[in-house]
Amino acid sequence: MSQEELLEKFVRGFLGILSLLAISLLLLILGAVFWQGAPAIDWEFLTQASSDFGASGGILYQTAGTLILMTGAVAVALPVALGTALFQTEYLKSDRLKKISRNLFYSLNGMPTILFGLVGYMVFGVYLEAGVSWLTGTLILAVMILPTLQVSFQQAVEALPEKYRDAGMALGLSPVAMTCSIIIPQSLFGIITGVLLGLARAAGETAAIMFTATTFSGVLLPRTWTDPVPTLQTHILVLAQEALNPKAVAQAWGAGLVLLSLTFILIAGALFCRSRMRMESER
Amino acid sequence: MKKSFFISLSATVLWLLTGIAYSPNGNAEEKASRITVVGSTTVLPIATRAAEKFVEKKNGGISITVNGGGSGVGIQSAGSGRADIGMASRNITPRERKRFQNPGLRVLPVGRDAVVCVISSEVYSAGVQALSKEQIGDIYLGKIKNWQELGGPDREIVVIDKERHRGTRHVFMKYVFGNENARTPGARLVTGSNNEEQTKIAQSDSAIGMLSLAWINDDVVGVGIREGDEIIEPTLENVRRNRFPIARDLNLIVAGEPLGRVKEFVEFMLGPEGQNIVAESGYIPVHPN
Amino acid sequence: MDFFRISTAFMALISLVLIAGLFAFLVLQSAPVLAGQQWSFLLGQDWWAGEVYGALPMIYGSLMVTGVALVMVLPVAIGGAVFTSEFLSPNQRLWVKAMMELFAGIPGIIYGLLGVALLAGWVKDSFGLIDGNTILTAGLLLGIMILPTILTLSEDALHAVPGQYRDTSLSLGLTKLQMIKSAVIPVALPGIAGAIFLGLGRAMGETIAVMLVIGGLDKIAEPWYDLFAPAQSIASKLGREAAEAIGSGQQWSALMALGLILFLLVMILTFMGNLLLKRVR
Repeated sequence: MSQEELLEKFVRGFLGILSLLAISLLLLILGAVFWQGAPAIDWEFLTQASSDFGASGGILYQTAGTLILMTGAVAVALPVALGTALFQTEYLKSDRLKKISRNLFYSLNGMPTILFGLVGYMVFGVYLEAGVSWLTGTLILAVMILPTLQVSFQQAVEALPEKYRDAGMALGLSPVAMTCSIIIPQSLFGIITGVLLGLARAAGETAAIMFTATTFSGVLLPRTWTDPVPTLQTHILVLAQEALNPKAVAQAWGAGLVLLSLTFILIAGALFCRSRMRMESER
Repeated sequence: MKKSFFISLSATVLWLLTGIAYSPNGNAEEKASRITVVGSTTVLPIATRAAEKFVEKKNGGISITVNGGGSGVGIQSAGSGRADIGMASRNITPRERKRFQNPGLRVLPVGRDAVVCVISSEVYSAGVQALSKEQIGDIYLGKIKNWQELGGPDREIVVIDKERHRGTRHVFMKYVFGNENARTPGARLVTGSNNEEQTKIAQSDSAIGMLSLAWINDDVVGVGIREGDEIIEPTLENVRRNRFPIARDLNLIVAGEPLGRVKEFVEFMLGPEGQNIVAESGYIPVHPN
Repeated sequence: MDFFRISTAFMALISLVLIAGLFAFLVLQSAPVLAGQQWSFLLGQDWWAGEVYGALPMIYGSLMVTGVALVMVLPVAIGGAVFTSEFLSPNQRLWVKAMMELFAGIPGIIYGLLGVALLAGWVKDSFGLIDGNTILTAGLLLGIMILPTILTLSEDALHAVPGQYRDTSLSLGLTKLQMIKSAVIPVALPGIAGAIFLGLGRAMGETIAVMLVIGGLDKIAEPWYDLFAPAQSIASKLGREAAEAIGSGQQWSALMALGLILFLLVMILTFMGNLLLKRVR
């Protein structure tokens, strides 16, 4: 074996070990959450209200709160993101403007979420008088996930093969008809990908909602616009600071496992849809 | 292009304006059916338990949310109208009083508590069972750095401070330094809630901190306070007899005169049922039955 | 001037208004403290609510934890990216990418819980410290947190290097290693740098995980490079103190000014990152 071959083997092995390290670090995290969280999870845990300051009972309403906030956020952000994406792909002809707006969205995507929480609370909670409520939280999360949705939508629409558009043009379709009957149906998997990623991002967010939308106790399901909700994220946050009480910590891990599973299912769904999208556009 | 830009700009403005006009203000009835209580994590257990009982008594029809955050947050929330009732385990500072002079903050004591100087159980069992005001002060100033200097094990002291606005800190610092805003250059960690501080002390084998009386247990032990030749143990009995030097009121803070459901709930907490809850939570009722 | 065009333009405008609004809001709200203290806000080392606001310890904390995260994660992320892009089969590559995308979605609060319950204790015991809430703990958490992002984005950059570069180098008689070293990595370097910038932006903005393990002490460690000291980052300061001051007063203004600094720092990192990554996308 020549020296070069040996060196290549060595470098390759070294890089392989680094990759393995990366993956095993992350698997370690999953393992830890699963290991610690699994014992807490049973039917009662998923279907009961929490009690005794979170140290016993279940996480039914916390899960409901997380679901309410994330679906609400996507419901608000969806039309805005779709409209923005369509405006950019269908109408915006200037490359300069396209570039600027793309940069703006990528920047918005990187913004620290705590800033959305603070500024969003002042705007929605104080000036619009929604207070600490699920509505405020929904709106804040909607702003936060807007770029996630928008970028996915735009990529999906831009990936549409020209022939679809050409066919629509040949039929003399108006922009509205073209959008409704060709663009949206044909990029549906891309849109679903964006929606799922947005849901996952909203579900995993804590800083933006911890003092704008949530309560630890007192409300189970919101009955008015201005009720706060309990959420999995803030439930874990409170219980995590109570590491002395083994029961509270066990509940925190259980809630953590549920939250992690939720986000993983959503992201896995998004990955699946994206691969379908690729397959469709390559056909 | 310019025209379309202009039209969309006006549409955006219009949308925002309608949003403001139709924002869910919550009509009066809605507002009255929910009471929000925010603030001190020392008062939190009382308020939470009382809220559960009160809601049960009212057969639903009302909900009460209770959240922590600390005394400063409680006073700020009550003063700015973010919460109906603030919880505070300290008095209102002149700065806060000035800030919310309109409509004026009302302080309603519901119980009495002590702030206890706590240390890790390992240090306590190694012999440090009482500290004087001066010794505690020197620890927080960073002049005493090792438990050995106080007759304990040879371990560096983990000095745990609390966030500035916290009620427990105000009361503790007022006793130790005569100034509730005293600076503590010796501090190693800054914690928030009672739970957080309790956990950090218990996880360490050489920590010192400050906690409400109701939070001390086998892992986080309250040391006696040495005043002259006397050692005063942190017990409920000593607090009740006004012998323990670091005592305080647990307060509800209301902006202006409490009205309607808020008034009812405050009265409930001051009544026999509420005061029983205060005692069950490990504090001293203000109106003993 | 059809309705459809107007409504989509309107939606596009909302997004613009949001970013401009966020920035304008931070500037307006932080004006009182910036006007009052000027440079002493940025350079002051003392933050004492009601008296004086100095942002330096928080800026220091943010830079330190992000720096530690970077140093921890860089070899693993770049090594993993090179390996994935150059040595794995297309199918294996897709698996790695999918896993990284999943991992990038682990919520911050999960890292926070891990940090409080496991990592802080581990750091304390393995380095023989008196306490485990340190810059190192926060940096380690952040490092693991941004690992998937940096790995997958820099892998994109490596993978996007056109085949002709590879073909040319191989036909010149270079070995695979030499090709990677002299043709692939140099071409992909801007993209890799972009990936790193984006990862750093994410680390700097993370609130929850850092807040729970950094110790919460508004102080610059002595010596400043002491990783075993507690500190405070801008984001964790906001997370801990905002509720106390929300909405009005000098303290709120000071917190908003901290927010503005964070906004600008992250904005620069993300902007640079996206600029460098552009040719990849």
